[in-house]
Amino acid sequence: MIVVEALQKLYGDFPAVQGLSFDIGPGEVLGLVGPNGAGKTTTIRSIAGIIIPSAGIIRIAGHDLAHDPVRAKAELAFIPDEPHLFDYLTVEEHLRFVGRLYGVADVNARIPRLLEEMDLQDKRVSLPGELSRGMKQKLAIACGLLHEPKVLLLDEPLTGLDPVGIRRMKATITKRAAGGSAVILSSHLLHLVEEICTRILVLQHGKAVALGTMAQILASRPALENRSLEDVFLALIGQDEASQA
Amino acid sequence: MIRVFGYLAWRSAHNRTARQLRHLRSPRYVAALLFALVYLWYMVIAQRPAPVASELADTKWVELVGAIALLGAVAWGWIFGVERRVLRFTPAEVTFLFSAPVSRRDLIQFKLLHSQLFILFNALLWTLILSRERLGVSPWLRVISIWVLLTTLSFHRLGASFVRTSLAEHGRLGLRHRVVSLVVLGAVLVALTWSIMDALPAMAEHRGEGTFAFLPALGEAAAQPVPTALTYPFRIMIRPLIADGLGTWAHALWPALIVLLLHYIWVVRSDTAFEETAVAVSLQRARALSQQGGRGLTAPLSQLRPTPSVIRLAPSGWPAGAILWKNLVGVARRRRVRNVGVALLIGGVIVTLLSFDPEGMLAKVAGWFALTWAGAMAVVGPQWVRNDLRGDLLKLDLLRSYPLRGASVVAAEVIASTVVLTIIQLGLLIIAYLAFVGDEFMEPDLGGRTLLLLAAFVLLPPINLLGMLIQNGTALLYPAWVRLGSGKPAGVEALGQNLLMMVAYLAILSMLLALPALLGGGTFLLLRAGLGLWAAIPATVVILGIIAFEAALLVDWLGGIFERTDSASAGVGA
Repeated sequence: MIVVEALQKLYGDFPAVQGLSFDIGPGEVLGLVGPNGAGKTTTIRSIAGIIIPSAGIIRIAGHDLAHDPVRAKAELAFIPDEPHLFDYLTVEEHLRFVGRLYGVADVNARIPRLLEEMDLQDKRVSLPGELSRGMKQKLAIACGLLHEPKVLLLDEPLTGLDPVGIRRMKATITKRAAGGSAVILSSHLLHLVEEICTRILVLQHGKAVALGTMAQILASRPALENRSLEDVFLALIGQDEASQA
Repeated sequence: MIRVFGYLAWRSAHNRTARQLRHLRSPRYVAALLFALVYLWYMVIAQRPAPVASELADTKWVELVGAIALLGAVAWGWIFGVERRVLRFTPAEVTFLFSAPVSRRDLIQFKLLHSQLFILFNALLWTLILSRERLGVSPWLRVISIWVLLTTLSFHRLGASFVRTSLAEHGRLGLRHRVVSLVVLGAVLVALTWSIMDALPAMAEHRGEGTFAFLPALGEAAAQPVPTALTYPFRIMIRPLIADGLGTWAHALWPALIVLLLHYIWVVRSDTAFEETAVAVSLQRARALSQQGGRGLTAPLSQLRPTPSVIRLAPSGWPAGAILWKNLVGVARRRRVRNVGVALLIGGVIVTLLSFDPEGMLAKVAGWFALTWAGAMAVVGPQWVRNDLRGDLLKLDLLRSYPLRGASVVAAEVIASTVVLTIIQLGLLIIAYLAFVGDEFMEPDLGGRTLLLLAAFVLLPPINLLGMLIQNGTALLYPAWVRLGSGKPAGVEALGQNLLMMVAYLAILSMLLALPALLGGGTFLLLRAGLGLWAAIPATVVILGIIAFEAALLVDWLGGIFERTDSASAGVGA
């Protein structure tokens, strides 16, 4: 569903991402983890078609993002960590707006379902200025899910959500993956990644330092066996006690 | 404390300038800088002093007209609302300064200090722009005069903001706090209205007789006791600008400095509503920034209500139509815009009825006013109406994630602001048309005026489209140098910057309109012998066709730039 080959992004001379390759099939949830500045956001935004890569190929549901961006983008949804909303559109109007952009014919039927799933039914006619941070995040997520994307790109999706919202969000991600969507989830919340991701990609200095299931990563590093993802992560980026010593 | 503020203001300005200068690595930014430098060089050095007609060069007229213009600008701000952004603090300033042990007065001092960098830059710019005029003393003394004038105006806007905010947010309590300011304001407004009504009949007699006949009539009207008193403070501000020697300049400067000092005292002392206002405005800005919200907003968010949208969005159709719809809904939801619409409607009915009164002046005044504004909107409208990419570029990442071609995004964005500007212009032209409906002696006659109005309906939308494409193209090409969102430079003190932008805009628009005008005019001349005035129809078709072709090329080109623009390197978006 998502194919990334030799992705590279340079900012001037600085390589934000270099030589990154991976693919994700339907139903998979890939956890993207790494320290600040590792290239997670650059990677996820490149796949979303927001940033133009310096080199490499990205395919979304069979469409080359560089040559057929409109079709590729029609198959994906990008949900950033900061909800980007329009001041003048109500909650429902945001969904209608997105429905038209993505050509969702049965938007009238989908809106109530999504509002219920995101617990936003009572805020249908509210403007973003009247919503809390968490509600805005839910609305941004609802907008991303409206066209039932085959590819879901989530950048720190739990920021600002309350415990109930977090539980709903986790359920939403798993439900979409179970429905056949390919999901990339970038997060610093390692317990979340451990809980819902089927594979993990650890980035550092723009390069992949580990890619695979938790079992595969541990199998290649026997010293880390029986350790939590947090310990594994710190060891991979050279910030564990052994490396520090 | 002033040192801390000075450090913050200076370092911020230094780093911001350095960041903007780094964009000069890009050839397109170098080209823009060269254009600006060539223009200034042309203004300052290459052009010989302008031959000013002796009547106009007379400093007494400059003083009078300048004073009336300043009075008008100040009165406009009081009546129609002074920009609340004068008080705007950045979210970081709110976080660090409002929670720090800093008094309100110190915060105001910071605001005043911070605005100085901007004012100084514009004072220098104005000095360059006015350098070919033969008025006044040396350019360096003129910098000081302009600085005093712009700083006073800036202080006045700040003080006016306090008064208006205090009234709006504290009701009767605000009235009590502001009694002195309000009494002065009320007296000025009454005197101003009375003076205008008193002077109108005499002025109307000289209308159409040219500037040289009009100016003495204006001078005579302004020489009456009430207008003299009204314009006196503004004359004081203009006099240093037109002083013809060092002694005269020094003599003219100290009263201007006293006016400046009085404004400073007024602003620093009237801090009652400051904190509430500043926090409200700053939080509004913080909220907008947190949503990456550039929106060309003039009404505060608190005034927005989720009223039912009058414009429906069908679920299917041109996908980018959603962006057009979004931008129009945004404009329709602003209370101020709706109020202006209703006022224009009621005004239209009233002026139509009044136009049949042969003795009445009100309809004529309203008509000329509307006509003047419609003309002015052709020049400044594309800078003012910003419900397009200039508002949305701060959400570049979001726009880029949509499954749309860049050209479609650009087209939808530009059409939105074109529609709004055209509606405003046509509304004003209709008001002007109605105001003269009953005038049987006016030239051109009613039939001619009707034809002109119809021509405006046909020609204004494509011309505005080109204008908006230029403005949006500038924002796309120079996102780091063009102010995006609602934070465009405002107020009289920003006029220097805006003037430079306007010169560039008008130059490009003229180039784009030259070909359609030439070929359209040629078609008319060719066919006139056979078709008479009906030749205007094929000529119009030619004009529209060429403009459409130019617009399509521009949309396609800008669409490509939109697709290649990277938010991180462009300095916009998240």
